[in-house]
Amino acid sequence: MAIFKLHLPIVDDIKQKGLKPALLAKVDEGVTRLTAGLGINDIRSVLRGDPAPRPNPRVKPHADGFWFHMRPTYYHNLVTPLYPQFRLGWLSVYFMVFETITGVFLMLFYTPSPLVAFENMLNILSNVPLGLFMRDLHRFGAELMVLAVALHMLRTYLTGNYKKPRQFTWFTGVLLLLMTLGLSFSGYLLPWDQLSLWAVTIGASMVEAIPTPYPLNLLGDQWFGDQYFIGTFVNNLVRGGPQFNDNGLLRWYLLHVLGLPLIAFVFIGVHYYKVVLHGHSLPPEAEKVGEDTAKRVPMDQRTYFMPDIITRELFYVVLVTFLCIFAVTLGGYHAPLEPHAEALITPLHTTAPWYFLWLQGMLKVGDKVFWGLIAPGIIFNTLFVLPYIEVGPSRRYADRRIGLSVGMVVCVTLSMLTFMGTPWYAVSSSADQEIIAEIVPQTHPGPLRATPWDELTVGTYEAKNWEQAPTPGLKGLLEEYEHAVATAQAKDKEGQFKNLDGLLIIEEWQDGLKKITVRVTWQDATGERTASQDVFLHRDSNYGG
Amino acid sequence: MTVRVVTGTIILAATMMIVAFIMVNEPNRMTDFESGYKGRSVEAGAALYDTNCKGCHGVQGEGIEGVGPALNARDLFDGRRLSEIGWAGTAYDYVFSSISGGRPRASSAFSTYPQRMPTWSSDFGGPLRPDQVRNLADFVMNWETTAMAQPAETPTPNPNAAGTDLETELPAGDAARGDKLFNGQEGTYGCFGCHSLAAGEVKVGPSLAGIAGTAASRVEGYAAEKYIRESIVSPSAHLVEGFQDLMPKTFAQSMTKQDLADLIAYLMTK
Ligand code: HEC
Ligand code: HEC
Ligand code: HEM
Repeated sequence: MAIFKLHLPIVDDIKQKGLKPALLAKVDEGVTRLTAGLGINDIRSVLRGDPAPRPNPRVKPHADGFWFHMRPTYYHNLVTPLYPQFRLGWLSVYFMVFETITGVFLMLFYTPSPLVAFENMLNILSNVPLGLFMRDLHRFGAELMVLAVALHMLRTYLTGNYKKPRQFTWFTGVLLLLMTLGLSFSGYLLPWDQLSLWAVTIGASMVEAIPTPYPLNLLGDQWFGDQYFIGTFVNNLVRGGPQFNDNGLLRWYLLHVLGLPLIAFVFIGVHYYKVVLHGHSLPPEAEKVGEDTAKRVPMDQRTYFMPDIITRELFYVVLVTFLCIFAVTLGGYHAPLEPHAEALITPLHTTAPWYFLWLQGMLKVGDKVFWGLIAPGIIFNTLFVLPYIEVGPSRRYADRRIGLSVGMVVCVTLSMLTFMGTPWYAVSSSADQEIIAEIVPQTHPGPLRATPWDELTVGTYEAKNWEQAPTPGLKGLLEEYEHAVATAQAKDKEGQFKNLDGLLIIEEWQDGLKKITVRVTWQDATGERTASQDVFLHRDSNYGG
Repeated sequence: MTVRVVTGTIILAATMMIVAFIMVNEPNRMTDFESGYKGRSVEAGAALYDTNCKGCHGVQGEGIEGVGPALNARDLFDGRRLSEIGWAGTAYDYVFSSISGGRPRASSAFSTYPQRMPTWSSDFGGPLRPDQVRNLADFVMNWETTAMAQPAETPTPNPNAAGTDLETELPAGDAARGDKLFNGQEGTYGCFGCHSLAAGEVKVGPSLAGIAGTAASRVEGYAAEKYIRESIVSPSAHLVEGFQDLMPKTFAQSMTKQDLADLIAYLMTK
């Protein structure tokens, strides 16, 4: 009597069919299980683009498979060309996944502590194989993701997709926009360089301005001896204490790697569920006003997910991945890394990342409470409720003149605010500091550091005599210097800086080290004045340029 | 459709080739980054040195008599100083930990420095971050090549030293050269590190503005020149009220008669 009986069907199969056919049949069975219904031959026929056989095995994965059940079995022919979707929602999902993969790689080498975070970055760049590559990809992907999400929102606005019945799709979209911005901002802080510290300082000073309304301020005064306790509390929350500290960094880190991605993935699920539920909307002109035929796709208007959409999407994955990799290698994109965070050195022009420049621009317009808190609050709340208050029935462009004009005005205003956020539209500091910051900026290498080291011949040079410089590198540098001096002179309308002059003194300092003094001289009411900045440059430091 | 599959495959191959190329290049790239980063560290160290250290160790690390030892000197790198102090680690470790922790007590066996080397690393309560201390150590170690090129001689006692005797004859003084000696353009005395010439400004020592006048009245029976001479060669003999005995005691040996005369001549013009 057998207590234990082993039955290996494969052995019988091999006996029956021979080794090769039996193994092939087994592999085919495995593939069919993995794809929830498609065997090897079915997959090959999908990739070849053969017409679907009858009965159609390609429908099964949509019913039984986890991944495919999320995707529609077929699309309307009218939504598969570039217009109306421009693949932007798809791109947003792509970048979310892309960022997760590259992010997990970086996470392996990163510790969220102000003591070592910056060193970790250097270690990633100098000691981790593919470290620079992954970091560049992660940063590049993050910027493109913000762009993709913003453009996706713009396109759903333009084609009027927020209208009934897709109000909630739009609502979750706005949440996703906030997640995306939050992910970018929190990621910005992690390298713990000057950029990080000053970005979070600006951010924290904005929330610190949250007012404590009457009568809470009186209670706060009584309970905590602090009239502004709400602002203080939020400030402590984001900085970890009155000064930015390790608790603060840990919080932003957890938000970046755990909190926000978790919420974002959940809401991408909700968002896409609603998209499929209501169907991809047809181009506005393809439907009668007030009708929504997205779910009723006539037989002769169908583009099947398999084979068409899936091969197309695989193609896009390959293409976009290629473009990203191309950009960070041959394209020369590199994520910036500034010097170690230093609370005592305020860079002359701190700029927010480009997608927050509009906010920085608004902060230059007026006070923090209104322009930094109330105005953005109004903007995002308007976005949230937009589909519930703009209830015009027609999605056609011709019927939405007001809506589209408002959209245009908003875009133009944002561009203008973005411009105002850049240093060009700056509350410029004194002329001498502007000139020095032009030659040796604190936030990026700048022209002096980019000049080839060997061409910095020891000596004293005047910017205005740039043409006599002994080497081409020095000539270019001094010309730029003179240009900065001339620009500052032209800007000085009140005549506080008479006879501005630029001087460059290059000394040999150590083996392979030069000391360069950038000195600006001028005259004002009190007489001769000078301002200088010393910079040391090493032979190997390789700032590029 | 087939076009898509074919181009897709080609692009995939291209992508893999780029990645493979990067992988192959990674070791070189990482070494380049390392040396580039080292260069930047030296730069940062130079700037930190300029603000924190030159007052005691000299603008170019040449040291200041009686204040701080030379850091660009051969004996720091060729092991002599290390064995003198019984250090078992490398010169880099020695420099790094000297800067990090400072020297708890001026090591009187080897030096006559009245002020101790301060503690710099925030690990031990100092003002600089550990990475900044590393920058400083990289900067100091960058003196190695030029220091090792110096001849390995040991200093011989100076026969022309000023000495502590106040009565020996001095050569005629040159106030212009004294100016240079005082302000550190010549020699390594570093007087300016401790003495200001602006009235009332106290550094480590008193301001020497108007010293020609005050010197005459400091000590009963001393002429101004004699008082200044004594202040330099035997600083402990008469202390200025309110100051500690911090002026280096080594000038009598390290200074030539000519230097002493020039300095006195210079100070007599103040
Ligand atoms: C207050 C004066 C002072 C300052 C400021 C100072 N040092 Fe020193 N340093 C000394 C003295 C004195 C010694 C010798 C201590 C001893 O021998 O006990 C010394 C020793 C050293 C040594 C060990 C050299 C040797 O031969 O033993 C190094 C390296 C050093 N200092 C670097 C620095 C650096 C870098 C800075 C700037 C961050 C600095 N020091 C600032 C006074 C100073
Ligand atoms: C380590 C700092 C230090 C250095 C370097 C130093 N001194 Fe002094 N010096 C002092 C202090 C402290 C006093 C006050 C205490 C005393 O009288 O010894 C002083 C006092 C003097 C006085 C007397 C001032 C008075 O008002 O009576 C003279 C003169 C003087 N120094 C000259 C020099 C000259 C010249 C040099 C350079 C060769 C020099 N010192 C280098 C610290 C220094
Ligand atoms: C992480 C961010 C986002 C992801 C991953 C995402 C993903 C998607 C996807 C895949 C689609 C379907 C196809 C397409 O239009 O490309 C879609 C549709 C849609 N999205 Fe988003 N989206 C995001 C953000 C937003 C934002 C910020 C908004 C607007 C505020 C928005 C509003 C909509 C709307 C209204 C649709 C329906 C479009 C239609 O039916 O044609 N989404 N989204």
